[in-house]
Amino acid sequence: MSAMLQQPTAPGPTATGRRGSLFRAEVHRFTARRFIQVLVGLAVLGWLGAVAIGLSTFREPTDADVSAARAAMEQAIADEQMWREECLTEAERAGDNPEVFCGPPLDASQWRVEDFIGVEPFDLASAAGAGAMAFAAGAAVLAFLIGATWIGAEWSSRSIVALLFWVPSRLKVMGTKIGVLVAATALLGVVAQAAWLAMGFILRSFVGTSTPLPDDFWTELLPAQGRSVLLTVLAGVIGFGLANLIRNTGAALGVGFVYFAIVENALRIYDITLERWLLSTNAVALVFPGGIRLYDYEAMTANMSEPPYYLVTNLQGGLVVGAFAVVIVGVGVLLFARRDIH
Amino acid sequence: MPAVEMVGVTKTYRRRGGQPFRALDSLDMTVDTGGVHGLLGPNGSGKTTSIRALLGLVRPDAGVGQIRLLDRPVPDELPQLIGDVGALVETPLFFPAFSGRRNLELLAQTAGVPGTRVEECLELVDLRDRAGDRFKGYSLGMKQRLGIAAALLKSPRLLILDEPSNGLDPAGIRDIRELVRRLGRDGRTTVLVSSHLLAEIQHVCDSVTILVRGRRIASGPVASVLSRAGTNDTRVAVPDPATAAALLAAAGFSVSPSPDGQILVHGAASPGEITRVLAQHGHYVEELVRVTPDLEEAFLALTGNQA
Repeated sequence: MSAMLQQPTAPGPTATGRRGSLFRAEVHRFTARRFIQVLVGLAVLGWLGAVAIGLSTFREPTDADVSAARAAMEQAIADEQMWREECLTEAERAGDNPEVFCGPPLDASQWRVEDFIGVEPFDLASAAGAGAMAFAAGAAVLAFLIGATWIGAEWSSRSIVALLFWVPSRLKVMGTKIGVLVAATALLGVVAQAAWLAMGFILRSFVGTSTPLPDDFWTELLPAQGRSVLLTVLAGVIGFGLANLIRNTGAALGVGFVYFAIVENALRIYDITLERWLLSTNAVALVFPGGIRLYDYEAMTANMSEPPYYLVTNLQGGLVVGAFAVVIVGVGVLLFARRDIH
Repeated sequence: MPAVEMVGVTKTYRRRGGQPFRALDSLDMTVDTGGVHGLLGPNGSGKTTSIRALLGLVRPDAGVGQIRLLDRPVPDELPQLIGDVGALVETPLFFPAFSGRRNLELLAQTAGVPGTRVEECLELVDLRDRAGDRFKGYSLGMKQRLGIAAALLKSPRLLILDEPSNGLDPAGIRDIRELVRRLGRDGRTTVLVSSHLLAEIQHVCDSVTILVRGRRIASGPVASVLSRAGTNDTRVAVPDPATAAALLAAAGFSVSPSPDGQILVHGAASPGEITRVLAQHGHYVEELVRVTPDLEEAFLALTGNQA
């Protein structure tokens, strides 16, 4: 032990003294978490990989590509004609009507060389929506993991108990942690969508079409991206809520896997009409422009031109996913506030 | 003003598929301000539960509103007084991947403690040289010292340490005891330290509360508790114990053999009288020791078979 054992009388943080910033300390804690740093690092690497793949996949077709496509198309036409000749012979031999059995003759003029070109330039206008959805899905998964590990590690190390020696208001502690998570996942969602836009414009600049973007490009894309950010936040909160209930990150991820891989599929098999209330369905409906239609093929009758469907709107998607998040987090917070802590 | 006051606090844990376990049974405890107060009891006697109740971590079934720290009710006013209370409960709880210093800095930031205080506390527990190392690489003793440093960050008026010597090697135990003793003597800190180690309480504490099965069975200054349960024996070592014992018995002393083959004289008012009687008969005393009861004997005497 050091010789300096006399306790200095530093000013303690009394009620009237300096006020600490729990939120700031929690932000520091959050950003210093190694697993979160690794997840974000992997996401950045994934983005770089996706850009590299995009740059190597898309390009304007060269003359050689067009020639190869034309040759492939001619070969396909020849193959089709040869097959039809064989078919006609077989039909005559069998006594069937050849035209009915083998279909109408081939109309080579309907075939297009473009359909045989294996490469194409990147078209931001047509890919923007799908890309935003894909990035939303990735960000949501990442946010779920971050939310689960954020509180799960606190329970594993029990440092949340130590924190209560400093801030004995349980609701304040939990509320601050949720606040930090919501801020972080909202930022993650925004960055993910910005990353998609950056990727889209990089691909458009280097390997994309030069066609001007349609007038409604931004008015269609931005709302979907906004809903994607909301989904990212809700996914993070659900991950947090699960890990807080179970008090273990790994177990929370296991429960998540079992729910999505087994429970949801079992419910779909049990009663297809339940699908509109499932978490994954509503998550997709939340971000997909206009929501999604769920067709009920079993209810289709002969006089229907298409099967009846349930429309799961963006609003319903948001409300259902939000309700999942609120219930899971709410129960966990309530138990945390009322239970003994060991 | 007592630093700690508990009146009639009861806590029962309900176990799944098992009998309920009463950890605290109408526990009364008072810790006066200043010095080091020990909370002594065997494992499962309710030491940690009582500390958790003091810190608002467990809710008593009875006695809610009858717990006061620094003269303020707990848990109602815990947020207002927590700045004056430092605590280390069982094992220190820190992020394993963060350095010791980083862990303390985060806690200091939470409570608005100046950053300079972190270095002071690291110095105080002699961890400054290893403060940059990750917590998970610390030895048990270092972890315990970091826990105490964290508890000291707030310069608390009341410091609560739950089994601070658990798992430490002898040198670590000595260091912790020395630190606790010095903190108790600084004139502004009251230290409440729990332990199942009798020697620890005896060496470190000014006063003690003894718990058995969640109830207080004795409390007061350590010396007073010892004397209450103590004996008044004198151990006498002589070259010929058998003859000396017969001489003392003939002189009216109550005598019995001591475990080491020498003589125990019971209830002798003056050890000098023993020396005089033996010397008169040509027996010269090699050793004469007043047998002071240690806390272990006191503890066993007070608890009987309960512990």
